[in-house]
Amino acid sequence: MKEKYIQILVIAMTLVYGVFVIFLYAAEPRSLEEISSKVVETVQNAATKGQVITGTYEIDQAKFNEGLMAFRQNNFIVARDSFAKADPERRDARTQFYISYSFYRQGWGRVTNDDALFKQALESLERVNFIDKNFRSDDQDLQLRTPAELKNELEEGLRVTADDFNPLKVFRERK
Amino acid sequence: MNAMDDVEEKTGRDLDVDVIDVEEVTLVRPTATRGELVASDGRPLPTKLSDHERNSLYLRYLVLPFVFLTVTLLGGLRIDSLDGAFIFNRPALVCLIFAAILLVLFARSGVMKLDGWFAESFPPLKNVANGFVILTLFAAATQIFNSLLPELGLPFWIVAFCFFWTLWNNLFADFDVRKLFRSLGGLFGLAFVAKYLVLANLTAPAGRTWFEALTENPGQEAITRLLDLPRYSGSTGYIQFFAVALFLLGLYLVPPSTRDN
Repeated sequence: MKEKYIQILVIAMTLVYGVFVIFLYAAEPRSLEEISSKVVETVQNAATKGQVITGTYEIDQAKFNEGLMAFRQNNFIVARDSFAKADPERRDARTQFYISYSFYRQGWGRVTNDDALFKQALESLERVNFIDKNFRSDDQDLQLRTPAELKNELEEGLRVTADDFNPLKVFRERK
Repeated sequence: MNAMDDVEEKTGRDLDVDVIDVEEVTLVRPTATRGELVASDGRPLPTKLSDHERNSLYLRYLVLPFVFLTVTLLGGLRIDSLDGAFIFNRPALVCLIFAAILLVLFARSGVMKLDGWFAESFPPLKNVANGFVILTLFAAATQIFNSLLPELGLPFWIVAFCFFWTLWNNLFADFDVRKLFRSLGGLFGLAFVAKYLVLANLTAPAGRTWFEALTENPGQEAITRLLDLPRYSGSTGYIQFFAVALFLLGLYLVPPSTRDN
């Protein structure tokens, strides 16, 4: 073998072996069996990042539909899980809006709201505004279709006012 | 008098030679054919490697990076004593600093001559390939310090200080290769014994309840908690012994220069 081929081989070998070592220390598999599953996970993440860089990123429509179905059945935990899988890079305004809405609906209470869930809803809503400032949902089932409306509702829910002690409040409806 | 008269006078005979064609003997050199490398005087250079050259190339560019990358892989590997799971321990910043000092020591002592590994006269590919070999050596050195330094607490700082003190003194000492290897062997050996024999034996086994720990071996439990000793499986010591031995073997195989003779 010629000298230059051996030198090319060392560069290739160092890169491949080096990347493998870095992968092991980054992924930290706990057993030999776990290495393969970590490899698949890392490759999928890398592929998604590649799509983002090249501008070809799209959400997983099947997962999104699963999430939407769970959302309409008031199964918000499953819905959020599906939405998160559909949009792993959190770059789709519609999906992020549904995640925020699911926090709102889950946290809404006739007597009291769950403040922790409302705060998470606000955090998700910030992402929607960051992705698309003019976002407007086309879902007819939602009464709050813009991030501004949903944000107002969430902030109202978090604020303690005299109106909170109005007994007629129990007759209000979830939006 | 010409040359023929001179010969007739010496031999005493008439020479009946009309023409003597005198030609100077010229040295015929082999000429290069197309595609061959040629020297400055036009001679073709040998393009095929001898066995010795080929073996040294394999050693330098295949064996050494493989050895050093294997050390890099194993240097941070620990085995959990509870479930035998892998724990990949990333090197602390101080390990990178120690590895950098170690490379400077290699250059100073002549283990590796800098101008023998990088030179403007080398082809770019050779410089790049040599750079990759040095990079693997640096990674392996980092991981060896990661392997030999205790992970946490007071033992980490004590051993790190000892390493730093030794390496710093070595930087200003008058060195040769043999002295450096002796010093490194002693340093690594002592650190290995301290971590994988002394501290490992002072570490209480994992998976015991508070009551068991206090009744069975309270001293060991107290030392483990006071010194923040991690509870690793015994196989960690074997793996690290192999890693240190492999690193020293790799160092032994590193040629001082990659210039062709």
